[in-house]
Amino acid sequence: MSEKLSNKVAIVTGGSSGIGLSIAKRFAQEGAKVAITGRNQAALDKAVKEIGPNALGIQGDVSVLSDLTRIYKTVGDKLGKVDALIVNAGVYILGPVTSFTEEQFDKVSDINFKGAFFSVQKALPVLRDGASVVLISSTVNGKGFPNHSAYAATKAAVRSLARSFSADLLDRKIRVNTLTPGPTDTPVFSTLTSTAEEAKQMKEAMGNFTPVKRVGSPDEIAAAALYMVSDESAFMLGTELLLDGGLRDL
Amino acid sequence: MSKLKNKVAVVTGGSSGIGLATAKKFIDEGAYVFITGRRQTELDKALAQLGPNARAIKGDISNLADLDHLYATVKAEKGSLDIIVANAGFVEIKYSPEVTSEHFNKTFDTNAKGTFFTVQKALPLLNNKASIVLVGSCVYLKGFPQYVTYGATKAAIRYFTKAWAAELKDRGIRVNTLSPGAVDTPIVDGQFKTPEEAAQAREMFAQFTPLGRIGQPEELASAALFLASDDSSYVTGVDLVADGGMTQL
Repeated sequence: MSEKLSNKVAIVTGGSSGIGLSIAKRFAQEGAKVAITGRNQAALDKAVKEIGPNALGIQGDVSVLSDLTRIYKTVGDKLGKVDALIVNAGVYILGPVTSFTEEQFDKVSDINFKGAFFSVQKALPVLRDGASVVLISSTVNGKGFPNHSAYAATKAAVRSLARSFSADLLDRKIRVNTLTPGPTDTPVFSTLTSTAEEAKQMKEAMGNFTPVKRVGSPDEIAAAALYMVSDESAFMLGTELLLDGGLRDL
Repeated sequence: MSKLKNKVAVVTGGSSGIGLATAKKFIDEGAYVFITGRRQTELDKALAQLGPNARAIKGDISNLADLDHLYATVKAEKGSLDIIVANAGFVEIKYSPEVTSEHFNKTFDTNAKGTFFTVQKALPLLNNKASIVLVGSCVYLKGFPQYVTYGATKAAIRYFTKAWAAELKDRGIRVNTLSPGAVDTPIVDGQFKTPEEAAQAREMFAQFTPLGRIGQPEELASAALFLASDDSSYVTGVDLVADGGMTQL
């Protein structure tokens, strides 16, 4: 690997699996020290082993503000100032508007929207001036799929945050952009199905929705995340990089 | 670096600005690049900077015979094509009451028609899994006085991207738009009567850009590299806006 991130410090929330883990691995391969967060200690420990010796796992829930404060303090103390923040922790909770419960609404909002908001705010004391913040949205932020109302709205909110956060943080030259994946090959499908076969079928169905007829791989998302945190994308601000095999815009 | 090892690319408008910076970056990453431009002296200067893995072919993208000549040369010398950066463009700012038929035709013939045929005429040569990058402009996302015709051609380019991405997906060919904001290139000078006016314009563009500065051609070249390489393998039909926040905030 080309060591594009040597001497850099990165944080990836929700880094124990899926897109977050892929990004963390790629960043570590490129020379960064990477801190990952997650709610489950065992999953975190496993992920840290996979990422390598430059990884640090910190247990916490992005919807709990005191957890965020603690996480960032730990990163600051152990790794120093942060160059790249990937706000990736999120949950995929579906249901039709007719029966979506308040509990489901609060859960998906608290993690995906409120959690994203405060993941950035609470990081500000440890972010370096000139740092790059990448918020992970979703291609459904511009679509109307059944059962996705609350989830898609939280992801549309995340896309919006990139604009306003960028405006707020101009004086610190902190760039905030969105990475917007389409359906990606991660364990998220298992959270919505009961068997491995069902998860596989769900993934194939999602893939078939895209013009390119496949889901994305987390490595593809990681390559884009690398671009977004490096100086190569220095003139991108408040914008969205869509990687979805053509699903949303074609 | 070798993200584009053994790839063959065409960069139109490659004598200067974003096109030249892109050609340089692609060559650094292992590609062989054909650049086009209308002026032989500028092409020669550019070629001297690019080295042996480049070839310059004089031509105007609004002239379809020139495009035929470009691709006949690419075919004869390299056989096939992996990357197109359709970057050649024309900008003449005019408030609407002053727009003449001649200005309208020139703007659309270059930016819309020229871009269309730049891609169409390459289709038989494109390898499967090729990547096409159309250089648009962020102006189409907003309403800028004096950019009525220019902005419209860039909106056309954004649409070409989507329809082509849909048409070419079965060949695995990806098509994306790169929409720059204000960038420090000679195209700025071409819009103003004196160097002082152009300098003032650059100042004004920087003030309109939240980042507080205009872009450098190398920054747009990096974006073009991302879209041209396998780093963007799941990206098609999109608009990558690199404008220092001008239209995004």
